[in-house]
Amino acid sequence: MSNKQQKKFEEIVERFVELKDTSELMIDLAYSSLLLNSKELAEEVQRLEEYVDKLHTDFELLVLSSKFKKEEARGFLGLIRLGVVTEKISDAAAEIAEVVLRGIEPHSVLKLSIEEAEETVTHVRVNEKSSLVNKTLREARIPEETGMWVLAIRRGAKCIRPKPDSKIEVGDVLIASGYADGEEDLKKLASPSFSQLP
Amino acid sequence: MPRLEKIEYKPIPARELLVEMKNLSELMIDLAYSAVLFNDKELAEDVLELENRVDTLAYLLDMEVMLATRDAKDAEALVGVSTVASAADKISDAAADIAAIVTQNIGVHPIVSEIFKKVEERLMRAKVNENSIIVGKLIDELDLAARMGVDIIAIHRNKDWIINPKENERIKRDDILIARGAPSGINEFKELAEGKRQKLED
Repeated sequence: MSNKQQKKFEEIVERFVELKDTSELMIDLAYSSLLLNSKELAEEVQRLEEYVDKLHTDFELLVLSSKFKKEEARGFLGLIRLGVVTEKISDAAAEIAEVVLRGIEPHSVLKLSIEEAEETVTHVRVNEKSSLVNKTLREARIPEETGMWVLAIRRGAKCIRPKPDSKIEVGDVLIASGYADGEEDLKKLASPSFSQLP
Repeated sequence: MPRLEKIEYKPIPARELLVEMKNLSELMIDLAYSAVLFNDKELAEDVLELENRVDTLAYLLDMEVMLATRDAKDAEALVGVSTVASAADKISDAAADIAAIVTQNIGVHPIVSEIFKKVEERLMRAKVNENSIIVGKLIDELDLAARMGVDIIAIHRNKDWIINPKENERIKRDDILIARGAPSGINEFKELAEGKRQKLED
């Protein structure tokens, strides 16, 4: 196989992995929005749903514009179908988030986890003065330092599911949950000048 | 066509039904992607069976919601439950669609699945080597979730798939395990299962 072909395949997989990860992150965020009754998280899910629509179109165009041979058609059809599924999953996540956005009082049946639901959700932007910049989540030890748990990292239009090896960059928005008193600590850690702001 | 059974009402708490729908639908997605990734037809068929189970749960939950609704206020309070249940059902349908790619012999381009296997960091498949220290251990004893953030979602043994194995399931040699979890833990667990790592670290 030529280098060019290999590159094309790698690009297809890269796009697909982003679709898959984003749709699964959306399920996590959608259930969390329900559990924490957080409009903020629910809005993030809605925003991601639009983002996935765009990603999905780009993915389909990329697959369809690959010059594949007749005998490869089934393999490419499989890819198209996988793409459709990620979009279905993201739609389902958006429906869950919609329950929160419509202000439907969260019924006790919807407390799907034994976690404490008295936690809040916050988002903070990482500025250039922060000690978090260029650290991986493992190195950053955010839960230990602040008691806040990072649910997602928003980077531009993207949203990343946090992994221990994910590196924090300047301008990242950390979406985190935890008890309210950890919020201030997280803000200080991510945007060190925050406390001096009026 | 599978024969569809009549669904009889069973008094199961709505919350229990919903939690199971949520857990099963999420498990199904991982199992379905594993079936595609490792091109495993039997696993894909099991995902389709789970989809039937989620459908049954959805019916039972609907009945619970209907019985609990006495007036407009109840209806307003419970409409969110129906909506979330229907979303979980859709997620399980989506997982079944993934599985159908395998059962209908459509497949994913082999080069794509090769590259995909390298970048997919949350799912792995490993065959248990006879020298592995996990042979003969209960899933409970391994304490994988606490140790490395990994859980075993399926075991292939004697031509059958054991889906979502229980804590008291014992690992046997030649079992094929499918596990999901944190990338670092996944690698560690694969080495353990294949007998390349002999120590279970705390």
